[in-house]
This record gives sequence, structure tokens and C-alpha cells, in this order.
Amino acid sequence: MKTHFYTYQILSIFLFAGFLACTKEDPVLVEEQELITTVALTFSREGAPSETIRWTSDLDQSPLIGLKSNTQYTVSVSFLDESDPGAVENITNEVKKEADEHQIFYEFSGVAIEFEQAPSDVLDSYQNPLYVNTLWSTSNSGSGVVRVYLIHEPIQKTGSARSDFGGETDIAVDFTLQIEN
Amino acid sequence: MHIVRSFFVLFCILSSIQALNAQSCSYRIEGVVTDLHDGDPIFGAVVSIQGTDLFGQTDEEGYFLIKDICEGSILILVTHVECDTISRRVVVQSNTELKFELEHHINELQEIVLLENGITQVNASVQESRLNADQLTLLSNQSLAETLSSLPGVSSLKTGNAIAKPMIHGLYGSRVAIIANGMRLQDQEWGADHAPNIDLNGFESVQVVKGAAALKYGGDASGGMIVLSPQRIRLKDSLYGTSVLNGVDNGKGGSLSSRLTKSFDNGYYISGQIGAKQFGDRKAPDYFLTNTGLKETNFGLTLGRSKILKGWQLNYSLFQNETGILRSAHIGNIQDLLRAIEAEVPIRIDPFGYAIEAPKQQALHQGIQTSYFNHLTAQSLIRLDYNYQINSRKEFDVRRGNRSDRPAIDLTLQTHDFLGSIQWKKGFEWEFEAGMNAFLQDNYSNPETGVKRLVPDYLKYQLGSFITGNFQLTNVFRWEWGLRFDQVHMDVQKFYDTADWIDRRYRLLYSDYEQRDFGTQLLVNPKLNFSNFSAQTGISIGLEDNFKTTFSYILTQRAPNVSELFSDGLHHSLATIEYGNLSLKKETSHKILFGIQKEGNQFTFGFNPYLNAVENFIYILPTGVEQTTRGAFPVWSYEATRVFMWGWDAYATIQFVKRLDYTLNTAYTYAQDVSKDVPLIMVPPFNLYQQLKYSFSGDKMEIQLVHRMTASQNRFPNTNFEVNRIESGSIIQREIDISTPPKGYHTLDFYFSLPLKNQSSLNSTLRFIVQNLTNTTYNDYLNRLRYYASEMGRTFQLQLVLKY
Repeated sequence: MKTHFYTYQILSIFLFAGFLACTKEDPVLVEEQELITTVALTFSREGAPSETIRWTSDLDQSPLIGLKSNTQYTVSVSFLDESDPGAVENITNEVKKEADEHQIFYEFSGVAIEFEQAPSDVLDSYQNPLYVNTLWSTSNSGSGVVRVYLIHEPIQKTGSARSDFGGETDIAVDFTLQIEN
Repeated sequence: MHIVRSFFVLFCILSSIQALNAQSCSYRIEGVVTDLHDGDPIFGAVVSIQGTDLFGQTDEEGYFLIKDICEGSILILVTHVECDTISRRVVVQSNTELKFELEHHINELQEIVLLENGITQVNASVQESRLNADQLTLLSNQSLAETLSSLPGVSSLKTGNAIAKPMIHGLYGSRVAIIANGMRLQDQEWGADHAPNIDLNGFESVQVVKGAAALKYGGDASGGMIVLSPQRIRLKDSLYGTSVLNGVDNGKGGSLSSRLTKSFDNGYYISGQIGAKQFGDRKAPDYFLTNTGLKETNFGLTLGRSKILKGWQLNYSLFQNETGILRSAHIGNIQDLLRAIEAEVPIRIDPFGYAIEAPKQQALHQGIQTSYFNHLTAQSLIRLDYNYQINSRKEFDVRRGNRSDRPAIDLTLQTHDFLGSIQWKKGFEWEFEAGMNAFLQDNYSNPETGVKRLVPDYLKYQLGSFITGNFQLTNVFRWEWGLRFDQVHMDVQKFYDTADWIDRRYRLLYSDYEQRDFGTQLLVNPKLNFSNFSAQTGISIGLEDNFKTTFSYILTQRAPNVSELFSDGLHHSLATIEYGNLSLKKETSHKILFGIQKEGNQFTFGFNPYLNAVENFIYILPTGVEQTTRGAFPVWSYEATRVFMWGWDAYATIQFVKRLDYTLNTAYTYAQDVSKDVPLIMVPPFNLYQQLKYSFSGDKMEIQLVHRMTASQNRFPNTNFEVNRIESGSIIQREIDISTPPKGYHTLDFYFSLPLKNQSSLNSTLRFIVQNLTNTTYNDYLNRLRYYASEMGRTFQLQLVLKY
């Protein structure tokens, strides 16, 4: 019976010591996916060159968008991962591809801007606009804020305020708006 | 030889003539003598009192009675023809009941084991609460933490309705040790949303000790210890087992668990256990809790040989589960959180289903354990335990681009744990145990997740040594003490955001740890050492009329865990960013426990107040705001403070009339952050558990009604924050109230047990259980997902228990 005792004791010590001898390899850097570092809005109107305003995570304040009153703009949004300057990834394509699971939306404060889908907008399988390309109609001059949303897995795809969509917010960034005559 | 000795004892008893003295000599001692291993009564044992001619002999039921015993200290001898004589000192102050358990397999086993109960108390000077096999079976459908929450002073910290962590005296996680089969369970105990990977059905009893009273298992569990013990093996040729089948309407699921043991006369045994559980979406009173399904399987196999004097055991266990997390609790930013808090019902309610989608957790826990013990002499015992546990955990978030199938957290934790100890006795009074505990833990965080590691890769070494002792003069006085010293070393490899590393002044403090620069990321290799000293001492004094009082002081020191040191990431359910703190020092807790209790047939009660002062109490609190592409996020960081806690647990059982029993368990905890002069967060509010049980005489039918009351927690810190939201064309500031605890609540549960007509070899019971009988809608402060949905509504359950 004594042999039992030694067998187990030796076995356990062996296992323990064996493990101690192992060394750990250096961990590998995680390649962050689904990271969005930049939200870019491109504004174009008839008779003027298009202009792109970018929100990046290292900015201290909201970037300024200057618009003309009583004008219609075509606005397209893009989401970028620029964490690696050598390999900028355009996330917008992924959002377009998964149009059923996403919704882009805008909310305005301080200024009266109406927006609707642009003819070039992407539709989901139920023909709801994704709002990746929109038409903005400005009215009076003034200043305010536009908040750009990218909503993931919304509970419904139509609505007039952010709260109508549910889902979780992937992007919520503010741009300052300055509308002049 | 034994017969000779027995005759000698009998001769001694008969020949001794003791003059009756003036004190009261009208007390009775009665009790039973049973076989330690199969519980059979032992017939013909002689129980005598040394120095007198008083004795009793056990009948077929194992029952004995000795009358006319004088007050004072006496020495009781128990003799049996097939056994050695044993002795035990007892102080007689009233009529006393004693239970002796003998081992009488004399052919191979030369020793008699004497115990007061089948299960020894973990520590006699600290009050312990216990659930027996029947109580465990009754709640076999629930998780460990929920099952224990009926005990006074024990609560459960929940994340939704399936993930629950036990909380003792308001403390949880690394401050509560779970000991299964004599070894500490190693899993991701640091995470508030990580439930212990264990199934209760494999165990016969659970003991909760409210303090780190058993230094053998660790000196860092300032909250307490939960000790799970398997069924004791019968040492005779037998085949026995238990099966429990549960069917539950809420979640349209159920569970099955089965345990079977084959034991042999020669001490060999084999025991197996399997269990499976599945539930679909649970239901609150008014809506389905979408994605709250659960799937669980577990398996255990034990081989061993026990010969009382020595024995060995080899054990393998597997626990696997997949738990859905309420879909609506997965949010993107603080505006989403505000919307969820404002909403009356969860934002997303789907029809009932069994599918478990992201967000969800998957855990796989496997353990191999070997143990060996040997009574080297009648006075000493050596015990060796080695345990290897591998624990993998995957957490899935709702992700873009079909990445929801890829875990966002993927951890593999391996632990080797060795515990060796020697116990010895010195005379009748002194008992000692000394030993060593070596521990190695390796955590691997898989980078394939594509998400920044929540906890880093690390190696943790720990070497502990302990000595404990107790001095028992008589059955009315006992003094216990213990010392433990642990050396902890952590070797961590973690990537920090270079900007963060500099911002948090780590570059100034810890530039030695910097290993490699990857530009925006920095690989850092902290090597941390902690020396922890723990000590415990306590006394237990028996008073008149079956009163007993205990007093105990426990000093614990705990090294910060990896999550407190290195946490780094976004919590989707609370929309917070959590940061660890590399500068944390060890936590030191002083706990004083007092207890008074009375045992009796008609009336039992206990009252246990305590004080707990903690230096360097590590906790997480809001420290700022961070701007991200999802908007502003509150940042929570780990810091240390001074904490003062006090509270009490109380219980009482009263037999009103024969067969009608009333039980009351109640507890209160006060916890204050002394440095900041604010209450501590997540402290259980005052709560009360009442049970009324009626047992019918004939067929042993039983009816139970359970009432639980949880008060509202009025002491909480304000951790609210502001969020701006665009409402009808203007930006409005709103406060997000995450601090205010929900209102108090009452729930009622109903249990009905019906023993079925049985043959001798099969014992079966049918139970009908209703939980939340009144279908009350309530939210619990200790549920971290309380903002999103209410607790479960009425639940009907049918349970069949088969014992064979």
C-alpha cells in the first residue's frame, strides 16, 4: 500500500515542477476590429466643389461645417478606421452590405434642417433608406449641432427621432453647424 | 484483545463506587450510536461514565439512555466488542443529547472515529450556516448563489437572472472562497458577471463560514468561505444513488441530474454524476426576457479507496454552460442607457425562443484532483491534495460584420494547486494542523478576438504555509487559532495604450516594466510581489440551557486581483469604461465576529453581529469621462479606500405545535467608505426570509410557504452622471440615475412534497413548487441589469426525486 502513496506524491510533484519549468511566450498585439476612428461627411451642392468635414477621435472639439441657407446639399457619410495609417479601412462598405442590421440617422439642434434619402441612397431588403446618402435642405441662417448616428440592430427602421429606432449606438458624434446667407 | 479490554472496562465500571455528592444528580444523557459509514445503528455498545457505576447499552435502534447524572465534568467511554474504547469529556449542566458515530469494520479497520455530526464544523468559533442534501435538492434548479441566498447574511450578486455570484456580508468575488472537495475553485472569480463554474447537484452539503476561518484554504477571503462536500462513501458493498428531475414552466425547460455510487467492502468505490439543464427565454410578469436562455451540462467521476486509516481518491469533473444575456442590456452608449432606464419595458422583446444569441457567455471548466490521506498513528494524519483546473471562458458581444460568432473575450485559465497538511493530537485537549499550499496560475487571453484584452496574460505563483490549532478542554470550552503566510508573485504581460501609460504617470513610476514599444501600444511586463499574513483566533463557550457563545477575530490580507490591477475595456451592459490600477497595494481586513445561539427541540435561535474594518479596500468608482466615437463614456477606475462595515445575521426556528415549524433568517449590513464619507456601493439591503412548514403525520407530506422581504437600500453613493440628448431640435442635459436603488419587495414561494409509495430499495418524492406565487414585478438592487428588465415572474416547477 505504501507504493500508492509514493506514486501519487511523486506524480503530483512531477506535474507541478513540470509546469513551473514552462515559460510564457510574449503576447501578440490585438488587431482591433470594428474600430471606427473617423466619421466623414461630404457635402456637395450645385455649382460648388464638394467639401469633406471629418470627425476624428483625437479632436478636442466638434469640427465646424459651414453651410448656406435655403440650399439643398447632397450629404454622404463614411466611417473609417484610421488607427493604422498604413492600412485605412473603410467601414462604410460593411455597413452598406449589412443594411438590414444598420441605420444611419441625423438629429439637429438649434437649426432647422430637413433631410431625406438621396436618389443614390442604399436601401435595405425592405426598401427602407439606410441614409448613407441624404439630401439636406437648409432654411434660415443660424448655428447649431448635427449629431450623426450609426445604429446597430435597430428594432425598427423608420422614425423621426433617435429613440424610435432602439438598437445600440455604434456612432454618435457631433458636428457644429454654421448656416450663413 | 478487544473483548478483554471491554471486560476490563466493564469491570472498572462495575467495581467503582462513587459516593453521590451534594450537587444535583438528576440529569439524563441520551443519544444514538451509529456506524460512521452507513449510518446503521450499532447494537450493544456500552456507554459509561468513568468513575461511576452509571452506564447505558444501545438497543437495536442504537439508542442509549443514562439517568441520574450529576452536574459537572464527566468522562464518557464508549465501548463495543468489535471496537477500541473511546473517551470524551463532557460538561453536564442540563439533560444532554449526544450522537456517536463509530466505525466497526473491525476486520480491516482498527480505529474508531467519533464525531458529533456527520459533517464537522469548519470552525467552531465562527458561526456557520448550512444547507443539507434535502434543501439542496429542493433548489437544485437554481445556481449556487441563489440557493445560498436563503441563508442569513448571504446574498447573490446577479447579472440578469442566470448569472449569480454568492455574496457574504456584502463582500463577493475574490473575497469569497469556494471550496469544493477540499480544494479551492479557481475560475474568473474577479469578474462581477462571472458566476462560479460549479453544479450543486454533485454535492451533499454546503457550509457557509462568514470569515476566512479555515486558513488552510486561504487567508484572503475576508468575506467568507463556501465549503461544498460530497456525499460520504459507505464502506460496505452497496450501490446507491439519487436522481432529480425538474420541469419548469417559466423558460419552458428543466434539468436532470443523477448520481450513482458503487462501494465495496474492501473500501474501493466509484462514483459518477451527470447533469443537464436547458431553459429558453425566461419571463418577467409582463414580458419575455429575450435571450435569457441557458444550456448546461456537467459530469463528474470519482474513483477511490477509503479504509478509514488511509485512503486515496481520483476525481475528474467537467462543467460546461452557455448563458444568454438579456438582449436589451447590450447597449452602445450612455444615451442608450438613458433610454433603457426611461423605458417601462425592455427595448427589445422577441417571442419566446430557445436560441442563445450574442450577448452570451460560454464557460468550460475541467478539473482533475488526486488526494491521499493516511493516519500515520492514532494521533496523526497526513493529507495531500493536488488539483489541476482548466477554465476557459468566452464572451460574445453583438458585433458588426458577422463577428458576433467570434468571442470578444476568450480566456484560458489554468491552475495547479497543491495542498499538503499534517494533523496531530496531543492528549485529549490539543489538536494541530500545519501545512503548505503551492499554487501556480496561468492566464492566456486569446488575441484572435479582435478586441482589446480585458485582462492580460499572466503567471501567478503563490506559496503559503499555515498552522492552526485548537484546544478543547471539555465540550463547553474550545479555543481555536491559526496563522498563515502567503507569498504571491505575479508576472504580467500587458499592452497599454502608450498615451494612457503616460497620462496615468506610469512612465514615471514604472518605466522598469516597459518591455517593447509598438508605437501607439506599449508592451509592459510588471512583476509584482505581495506578502500576506493572515491570522485567526476564537473561542466558543457553552452556557446553561444549551446556549453557546462564540467570539472570534480574523485578520486577512489579500493581494489585488488581476482585474483590479489591469482591467481595461468597455462594459456593454453598463456603458462604462473600466480601468485597473497598477499602483494598488494589498488589502488588509480586521473582522470581529460575535455569536450567541441556543439549540433546542422547540426553539433554536442565533444572533451574530460583526465588525469589519478594511484598510486599502479595493473598489471601483467613477473617475471621469472619456470621449469616444460612441459619444462620451463614464470611466470607472479601481482605487483603494478605508472601509468600515458592521452588521448582523439572525435566525430562529420555532416549533409552534407538533409538526408546524417556523424559520426566520434575517440580516443587515452597514458599509461606509470612511475616506470619502459615503456609503459603499452594492451592499445588500436589510432582508428577511420566513418559512412556515407543516409536515403531515402519516405519509410525511410536507407543505412549505416561504416569504422573502428585501428592503430598499437607502444607503448608496451617488454615481449619477449627465448626458446631453437632442430632443425636438435642442440639446437637453439629462441626469442618468444609475444610483438610486429600486424599491423594496416581497415575494412568496410555495413548496409541496409528496413521498410516493415505495419499495424498500427505492425512495421517491414528488414536489410541486411555485416561485413568485403572486407574480410580483420587482427589481433587485443587487442585479446589475436591473435598469433593463424586472426579475422573473411566477414560476411553476415539478420535481421528482428518486433515491435508490
